[in-house]
Amino acid sequence: MSKRLVIILGILTLLAYAWPAWTRFSTAPLTSASFIPAPRFETATNHAPFMAQDFISPSSGSGMVHVGSICEIPDGQLGTVWYGGTREGAKDVAIFFSTKPQGMSAPWSAPRIIVDRASASRELNRYIRKVGNPVLFSGPGKELWMIYVTITVGGWSGSSLNVKGSRDSGLTWTDSQRLTLSPFFNISELVKGRPLALNMTGGNDNRNHFAVPIYHEFLGYFPEILWISVSQNNRNILYEKSRMAGGTSFIQPSIAPLNTQSATAFYRCRSKARHIAMARTENAGESWSSPHFLDLPNPDSAVDALPLSKNGILLAFNDSRNNRETLQLAVSTDKGLLWTRIHTLENSPDQEFSYPYMIKARNGLIHLVYTWKRKRIKHVVFNEAWVDQKLERTAKK
Amino acid sequence: MMALCQRVIMWWGKPSTGWIPTIILALVSALMVSLPILGLPLGRWFFSLFANPSIPLTALLFSWVFKNAFQLSLLDVKGIRTGWIFSLLAGAALYPMALGAGAFDPYPAGWHFSWLFVVLLLVTVIMLSLKNRFSGVLLVTILAFNLRLLESGNLWDYLVDPILVITSIVGLIVRVVKRG
Repeated sequence: MSKRLVIILGILTLLAYAWPAWTRFSTAPLTSASFIPAPRFETATNHAPFMAQDFISPSSGSGMVHVGSICEIPDGQLGTVWYGGTREGAKDVAIFFSTKPQGMSAPWSAPRIIVDRASASRELNRYIRKVGNPVLFSGPGKELWMIYVTITVGGWSGSSLNVKGSRDSGLTWTDSQRLTLSPFFNISELVKGRPLALNMTGGNDNRNHFAVPIYHEFLGYFPEILWISVSQNNRNILYEKSRMAGGTSFIQPSIAPLNTQSATAFYRCRSKARHIAMARTENAGESWSSPHFLDLPNPDSAVDALPLSKNGILLAFNDSRNNRETLQLAVSTDKGLLWTRIHTLENSPDQEFSYPYMIKARNGLIHLVYTWKRKRIKHVVFNEAWVDQKLERTAKK
Repeated sequence: MMALCQRVIMWWGKPSTGWIPTIILALVSALMVSLPILGLPLGRWFFSLFANPSIPLTALLFSWVFKNAFQLSLLDVKGIRTGWIFSLLAGAALYPMALGAGAFDPYPAGWHFSWLFVVLLLVTVIMLSLKNRFSGVLLVTILAFNLRLLESGNLWDYLVDPILVITSIVGLIVRVVKRG
């Protein structure tokens, strides 16, 4: 190498690094965001205590369904997705989508496949062996998104995440886009929790920003956050991730934001402790406290937490260390430290009721979906007056 | 694929140097990559399993193919060994922690300008001053990242990959054994 070539390459190197440096310091990082707290509803405006339930998916016969998620779609209806097929991880598993107008009298629409292994393989331009966990979410505009799992090799630890979008409330969808989130063959990244809408400080207003709770399961098992920013036409997706905790014990985080900066996360526990774990953030998810166990059992199964209007948190969980036969609701009024069990949703021996997923709609109603005996996805809707009533009755006992 | 074809020909003891054998080899390799197997081109099967081959791995393979085809070394022995050692160190810094050893994850440092970029810039400048040809590979790496030539948007994926780390370990072990 001549001296002149070294100087030219040196100048080129400095210029090559100037571009990412300029980009970094001229735009806000995706993690510099604040939570958008859920709107608060006074119990009085929600009338009398109300609770109703129905099934979203028709009976799957000899097959199975699992991992439902729900959101308010831009046209004002409710939308849900879940996966189903002959068995978990089978090649015929597809992701289904169903909608219904708000109000219990209207039925859910017939489930429609929005992605299966053939369409995922075509859209991602690679071999896809099976599809799994989907999470559906919407922003303040007309867009609807779904993040879902695909597997090319092996079991769940071979998972990768993908994103699809829709601008017409789920009638048509954009092609899937692969998210690269792990340096090791981009495997072992999964999703289960409810995404949180974010406000960006100094960000581009034309983009939608979310914090999506995800998790890694390969050699380590740990919770993470996917910070994702989507342009209005769904064409440009920016993302990065951060770790919530290390180790091999905690997965499937569920995050309940308490205000713009603080939130409480609840983890599924894989360790022998078999208790739900909890962590806190005071800087909108940039860093999290070390997880500590709650006095609530966990049979290595997903939990879901939702903030309530009066600084409370509602938790849906399997109330056992050994099985998923009981699905329970509990409320905490001290940011998640102490809990009061308010209602048993399901309790049936040798059956599974699992993977709860809750949202609070713009009208204040809380919608909960969960896997019902692995045969159907069940939908329960109630208001905060019902929660308050249950809490009061429990306190009187 | 071309490196693989070249390797097979070398096993047969048939050298493939010169323009014409190289062009034929390139065409055969392109044909094999687009050969459909179970409805998917062979190249897409590779891509399914390994979507983000790092730039140093690509450079090492390209250098090897180029040397066999034209008897010219893009990367000399010093550059290749530097590449192995660099990749081994990068892999050791990244994979254990990224896969869950400890609470710190270095992988997010690759999403945007961070300490990783500063370290890489310093390493590139030092290697340039030592006239080590691997500095050229590191320069191409950051250029490829700026142009988003891979599916990933994370600098770590441009810098190192598991296949490169394994190749580097094997390369260094072979060198140590030969020396012994």
